[in-house]
Amino acid sequence: MNDSHIGENAELYAVGSLDELERQRVEAHVANCADCLRRLGQAEETVLGLERETQAAPLPADARAPQFIAPRRAVWWLGALAAAAALIIGYLLPHPPTASNGPAQVAMLHSHFNHAQFTGAGPLAKVIYARDRSWYYVIVEGSHAYSVEGVGTSGTIDLGSVTTRDGTSELFVPHARRFERIELRDGPNVVETAQIR
Amino acid sequence: MALPHVSRIVHSPKDFRVRDEALEAAFARRDATAYERAYQQFGARMYTSALRVLRDKELAHDCVHDVLLHLWRKGTSYSPARGNLEAFLVVCVRNAALTRARDDARRRALLAEQPPPATSTLDADPFEHAHVTEALSKLSETQAKTIQLAYYRGMTHTEIAAALSEPVGTIKSRISNALRTLRDALGKESLR
Repeated sequence: MNDSHIGENAELYAVGSLDELERQRVEAHVANCADCLRRLGQAEETVLGLERETQAAPLPADARAPQFIAPRRAVWWLGALAAAAALIIGYLLPHPPTASNGPAQVAMLHSHFNHAQFTGAGPLAKVIYARDRSWYYVIVEGSHAYSVEGVGTSGTIDLGSVTTRDGTSELFVPHARRFERIELRDGPNVVETAQIR
Repeated sequence: MALPHVSRIVHSPKDFRVRDEALEAAFARRDATAYERAYQQFGARMYTSALRVLRDKELAHDCVHDVLLHLWRKGTSYSPARGNLEAFLVVCVRNAALTRARDDARRRALLAEQPPPATSTLDADPFEHAHVTEALSKLSETQAKTIQLAYYRGMTHTEIAAALSEPVGTIKSRISNALRTLRDALGKESLR
């Protein structure tokens, strides 16, 4: 890149041959240079053309992962972001961190996570869980002491009971295990189920 | 790695694409709905592009996720004047994936022509069974080799210069000229 324009670095940027620092310089330059922005955009379109033509061949099975075309999956990251924002802004931040929700906050800050709504005859409830299934965080409306169980291919595990704070109950489970679903139980009865995808 | 053989480029009707200018403008001003729509429309290709570099489903998913979150949080350098939004996102995710691949042990498999990891589904050079081969036939042999090392092998221009024992400036010019030749060869249908 010369002093005034990005030149050949437009094509190198698009094809992936620049390191991160060089890419940052290109980005900084095109923010204020319409000619270089246009050249960079054309180079990017050429790479898109290569990707399209390459992907016109049969894609590997992994590339057709169904979660990318499922509507729920398509918005999961915005949903998770919204859930985290609602959780933190509307619920956690007005209160000083406690021994209960502190680990959940730390886990969310350090993880990619999904969430799932409980369905059934019970109260409004949600489980937020790490994508690598290293932790689960169950939140239930109300103050009833539901027990929580994880159901997986190897059986059912008692994860504990939710504890109540200010009208909402919760349970953070730092349990590195892959469950197919999480169940809320009231005594022997399953009142709510959340599918873990 | 063999240079690509020549085959015919076929553009099916599905290759005809019209840019969604409203979506591009909304994405540029960081509209949340536009991010969601962009993910719905382009997420699959972004994922596939990341997967071809990283060769790991979870890493590829995380890479797409990280790129979108980064653009959302930090703001984006995208504007409609730059061009196609899908192209911008695909290049963003490819560059992020390449950075990750260069930073970890997978780099050795990418650069040393070793067999891909057992979990990989990429069993061959996609150039060898894709329609892109006709476009590549428009390049000189040295251009084709260089663009393969850059685009498919994910090597930086300095790594290519070292591998081919040629000056960095020569490699940069060759990549630039090759990509511009490919732009003409691919045709408008592929570049919309």
